[in-house]
This record gives sequence, C-alpha cells and structure tokens, in this order.
Amino acid sequence: MDMNDPLRREEKRESTPDREDAGPSRPDVSRPGREGILKRMKKVDPKQSEKYKQRTGQ
Amino acid sequence: MSSIVPLMGIETEYGIIREDVETSDPVEESMALLQRCESPSVFRVWAYKHENSHLDLRGFNVPSLAQDEEEDEFCAEDRKRPYSYWEMKCDRVLENGARFYNDHTHPEYTTPECNSVFQLVAHDVAGERIVAKCARLRNQDLGQNAVQVFKNNTDYSGHSYGTHDNFLIPRKLPFENWVKGLAPFLVTRQLYAGAGKVGSENRKGPSHTGLQLSQRADFIETVLSIETMTQRPIINTRDEPHASPQKYRRLHLILGDANMSPYQTALRVGSTRLVLTLIGEEKFVNPVDLDDPVADVKRVSRDKTGKVLLKQTTGKTITALEIQRVYLDRVEEHFLGQCKETDWIIHEWRRTLTELERSPEKLTDRIDWAIKEQLLAEFMAAEKLDWDDPWLKSLDLEYHNLDPERGLYRGLEQEGSVLRLFPEEEVTQAITQPPEGTRAMIRGLMVQYEKHNIKNVHWTGVEFKKGPALDLSEVVTPADVEQMLNSKKEQFAWI
Repeated sequence: MDMNDPLRREEKRESTPDREDAGPSRPDVSRPGREGILKRMKKVDPKQSEKYKQRTGQ
Repeated sequence: MSSIVPLMGIETEYGIIREDVETSDPVEESMALLQRCESPSVFRVWAYKHENSHLDLRGFNVPSLAQDEEEDEFCAEDRKRPYSYWEMKCDRVLENGARFYNDHTHPEYTTPECNSVFQLVAHDVAGERIVAKCARLRNQDLGQNAVQVFKNNTDYSGHSYGTHDNFLIPRKLPFENWVKGLAPFLVTRQLYAGAGKVGSENRKGPSHTGLQLSQRADFIETVLSIETMTQRPIINTRDEPHASPQKYRRLHLILGDANMSPYQTALRVGSTRLVLTLIGEEKFVNPVDLDDPVADVKRVSRDKTGKVLLKQTTGKTITALEIQRVYLDRVEEHFLGQCKETDWIIHEWRRTLTELERSPEKLTDRIDWAIKEQLLAEFMAAEKLDWDDPWLKSLDLEYHNLDPERGLYRGLEQEGSVLRLFPEEEVTQAITQPPEGTRAMIRGLMVQYEKHNIKNVHWTGVEFKKGPALDLSEVVTPADVEQMLNSKKEQFAWI
C-alpha cells in the first residue's frame, strides 16, 4: 500500500500504542457461565465444513 | 418515514445440507423443504412474466447473465431432472406478504416490503423461524435430524450465496450520484455489518489466516456489474424496480453478509438507508473517492481495528473508521431528532464505531464477527487449537445453523449472552402478519382472504381468477395503501 501521506505518518508517530489503540484484545477465557456453549461447540464435527458443499447462489 | 427510501426488503439465500446421505442434493432438499411449509400461502403462482434481470441501470440490456463452468455443468444436469421449472422453484407467497422459494438451489426467504427498519428486522427474523420450522417438519418426515439449514454466505470452498438488501429510491437522481456517494460507505460498512469468516476463499489474492470481518468480501470483484453469480460488484446494476419504472429504482445491494444478530441487521440496513437519504436529498457533497475500492473491500475485511489505510484518488490515505465517521457526522447533522428510529440508528452507529476503536470487547454481545471471534478464542484456548485447525471453520459454520439444539448463535441466545433487539411477540406477529402501511399488507391480505381466487402474484400486483387485477406498482406510501384498500371495498367484501 502506498503510504505517501506525510500528515498520516505524523499522526501515527504521535499515537501511543497502548491497549486502547491495539485493536481487539484477547477475550477473557475465564468468563463464567460458558460451559453450555463450549459443550455445544465440542459436539461439532471437526470435518463438518469440509462436508458442507453448496452450489453457487447469487 | 424516509420519503427518499420509502420501502426496503431483505432477500436471504440459506445454505442447506442433508447429513444422512453420501452426497446431499441441494435441489431435492430445497424442494422438499419448501414443500413442507405449513404457513398459509399460495403455491407456484409467482408471475415470472414481470421479471427482467437483464436490464442494466446504466441504460442497456445484457443478452445473458454469467455463471461459472461448474454451475453450467450443474444446470445441464438439472435439465435432466423429472421436474418442470415451476416445480423446482416451489414459489410460495405467504400470508405475511413474504416470498419463499427455491433460488439457485438455495431456499430463499424474501421479506415483505417494509417502511421501517425495526419492522424489516422483525420480518427478517420471522423468516429464520419459518425456514427453521420447515426444516423441523422435514426432519420429522425423515425420522432424524438430518436436514440442516444455515443463514450464512459461504461453504468455505469458494461457493457463495447471497443476502441482498433492497431499497426503493427515486429514479430522478442520476445513477452515478448514488454510486459515487455510496461506494466508500459500502466498502467500510463491514466494520459493523460483517458476520465474520474463518480463513479466506480468494483464489486470486493472498490467503488469510484467522477471522476476517466479512463472509462476502472475498467474492467482490468489481465496482459495478449486473452479475450476481460471478463478477460480483460493490453495487449491482440490475434494473428491476418492482415499482413504477418512471419514478423509482430498486437499489439491489448484494455485497453484504447475512447477520444472525438482529441488532446488526438493524445497524446495517438502518445506516445504509440514512446514507441513501443523504445522497437522495443531495446533502452529501465531495464524498471520499477511493483509488481501488474493490481491493479495499478485502483490506477492510482483514483488519479488525478499522485502522487500515486506504488510498484515495488524491494520493492521501484514510482509514475505514474515518470514512464511516464522515458519513455518520453528515447523517447526524441532517437527520438527528427526526424520529425515534433514526435517533436509535445514529446513536448505535456512533457507539459501535467508538467501541470498535477503544474497547472492541464491548461488541461481543451484538456484532457477529466480534461474538464469533470471542467464542472461537475461548474454544481455541480450551482445546489448544490454532487458526489453521479445520475445526474452526466447522464452528464458524455452526454459528449460523438455525437448529435451536445445534446452532451456536442459537445457544448464545438461549444462555442470554447476546443482545435481543425486541420482544419475541414482534417476531411471532411478523410470521403471520404483513407489515402495516405497505403494499405487502395488501398482498398478505389477498393471501389470507382470496387464496383460492389468486391466479398469479408478483411484487407489483395480483391477478385473480375472477375479478379485476390489482396493480401495486404505484402503491408506495401508507396513504397509497389506504387509498387502494378503500377503492377495492366493492370487489372485496372483507375489507
């Protein structure tokens, strides 16, 4: 990508790479009450997406 | 109500598979699903004579629409099947004014035309319920839970199927104005409209590991095109207004994702309607002009921060978040305070962009890609998987499964982890009742009261076995609807 944009580079130098600017953070995996959904996920056939063949639609 | 965009609708092509056979046949399964529909409806009476998908908004006709070689071969096989075209299409028009049929081997639910965003979202969710009920009944017949239906847009192997947002807009404004004003908005809308997809299917470009924002971004190949099955565009140019062609265009947007989150559907459709109103009222001057919008669709999809730099034709760069804020600021300046629904959309649009920038974890109860990312991260941590593991794509797919016992989004709804947009009663009502004050209400009433007298039906009218036809092509506003019903009291005693 062409980064030939002096103002942009200036802005970037000034920004602080703190947590708020770093994009999505890793979720808290210790979140309570998630056993049900994780159990449901565990039941999903790991090869399900390979078997899932569709025809092109619009 | 927006006079620039008086009517809206959503078409959703669902993925379908039968798991108890070696090779699932989508034509057979879609037909069987449609045949199992118990909702009061008229069957196989859609008036295809009113359709012309070859007319282009740029002012010309194309001789034929394209599809890839694989689909050509499938279609050749379809012609050998012992069914007529009508039998395969299995068209139904339901009592709520919706159309439910088999489109290109996918069960498609098209909402009735709505004049408010929340009304439209309720009807989109009603469609999920109707489709899921058909699958349940079909599985009852089979004696096992073999048929599964998915509200998504990809099979992860390069086959995509669509979720199309439709907006009735005035014909008088040149089409170029709509394109210029809308394209940068659509390129970046995926920040909050994307359903999320594990991996990539872009055979021409670099692959992607991990989750990207959009299911559909990999399939966008051009800015403008009449095609929908190949060379898919940012803005589709099919000129089928389904209303008076002198007064209206129907903007047929095919680049979006199917959202499981109703909140997200509201934000997707609501923000787009407000941007169209801005353009239609000619209140949007000097829009951003992106140098390579098609490549930018993919760049934006692969950067979950919204901060990827996009090059403008001026040579300067701008981020996806900044583009969205340009639109939001103008919308807020002109439309804030007009009505409750508009205020909700503006407020939630602002909140979503702010939270995406500062605290994206707050989106994990309402934005599909963010919900999915958190869910998959939890599972990866628990099972010690990385993004290359094929299990992740299977979980991604299962997020969209409509089966209440299997679907991951359904599971999150049941445990109360995702935001509910409105009470269940509104969805229940949308399953049987057409949207008030729209021409779909007239269509729905005809299905309810004149079912056996209907000869054929289309978006723009109804023909009867006995009695004069109804022309709905000029029926757009609630006042038009009222006038039409009042004028038909002699023909229909039940009005």
